[in-house]
Amino acid sequence: MTDDKDVLRDVWFGRIPTCFTLCQDEITEREAEPYYNFPEKDLLHCPSKDAIEAHFMSCMKEADALKHKSQVINEMQKKDHKQLWMGLQNDRFDQFWAINRKLMEYPAEESGFRYIPFRIYQTTTERPFIQKLFRPVAADGQLHTLGDLLKEVCPSAIAPEDGGKKNQVMIHGIEPMLETPLQWLSEHLSYPDNFLHISIIPQPTD
Amino acid sequence: MATCAKRICKLKTGLWRLAQDHLPTNRRVFPWRRLSLCWLSRTRRTWPEMTVTQPRFGPGDSKEAAELALDDAEAAEVPAVSPVIRYEYHVLYSCSFQVPVLYFRASFLDGRPLTLEDIWEGVHECYRTRLLQGPWDTITQQEHPILGQPFFVLHPCKTNEFMTPVLKNPQKINRNINYVTSWLSVVGPVVGLNLPLSYAQAASQDM
Repeated sequence: MTDDKDVLRDVWFGRIPTCFTLCQDEITEREAEPYYNFPEKDLLHCPSKDAIEAHFMSCMKEADALKHKSQVINEMQKKDHKQLWMGLQNDRFDQFWAINRKLMEYPAEESGFRYIPFRIYQTTTERPFIQKLFRPVAADGQLHTLGDLLKEVCPSAIAPEDGGKKNQVMIHGIEPMLETPLQWLSEHLSYPDNFLHISIIPQPTD
Repeated sequence: MATCAKRICKLKTGLWRLAQDHLPTNRRVFPWRRLSLCWLSRTRRTWPEMTVTQPRFGPGDSKEAAELALDDAEAAEVPAVSPVIRYEYHVLYSCSFQVPVLYFRASFLDGRPLTLEDIWEGVHECYRTRLLQGPWDTITQQEHPILGQPFFVLHPCKTNEFMTPVLKNPQKINRNINYVTSWLSVVGPVVGLNLPLSYAQAASQDM
């Protein structure tokens, strides 16, 4: 059996799927904290489903503003917007995608969206995220890749630091290849709000 | 956009200050890029108004008693207890919608923030109908893109719609307007920010 520490490290980083059960003497009766002052000034408090729906829809509208100058989402009826939200809320893939697929289309004469909706999150800065205008296609018609995006808006993410410590570029918890075309990522790997939420995580030090 | 930046800097009338986020950068940033990293901010306070407290009448009160009570209230002129609220307004540029956006937050002097319901309640009567048609589409809470803290936001999706006619007219009559001043004079009053006429006069004196 390998060192317990190594096994625990693998479990922590998700390399070994596990199921934990507590034995009886590990379970203690503890009263819940009676007071919790929600940090209203630092975190968005979501008091109701309406608040979350409003936030989700405003992200969708912003994404479409970037992709299609808001034309597609504004042409939709109120019930289509409702269907997007209900599909997400009730985990109904077909219901959601029946409408969302329209937001993933682009005119035949174009090679992609106008701009790609993305946000990059880093641990090394106070700034909440990086969001800029970025076209999926270069002037010469070449498709921009994930690597091209990072080089342009966040070069420190992929530039090797001293000692060769690289960063992990994650979307949905996986590392897509940097050569992946950004247009493809936007169509297939966006989150339900139609944004690509990209996390830059320092390589875990073993 | 470079000319827009110059005009925003000239909007020093009154109490606006140009805040700039200094991020470490190795590359030279062009002036219009810098526009997305700075914002205009302003704070103001509302003071309680002097009001006469109206006495409440029970079902059994007679008319004479009511008249007496009113007289007493007029004599006393006790100010109603209404708290001081501190507003902070930020003007940012949305590269997604390519228009300015009004972010704001409000709190009592002890630091307690106002809720979204409080904000909706505070919207002036003349805008109330429009707000009630879709409160969640008009004023919501979002993360400030630079500070990361929760702010109330006036949705920018309709901005182009109402600004286009504003921009067309001056071209016809050969008058100079400042986009930010005109836009702010439309959206500001909805959330308690009234722009004095001196802003418009300063704008027309530009160039």
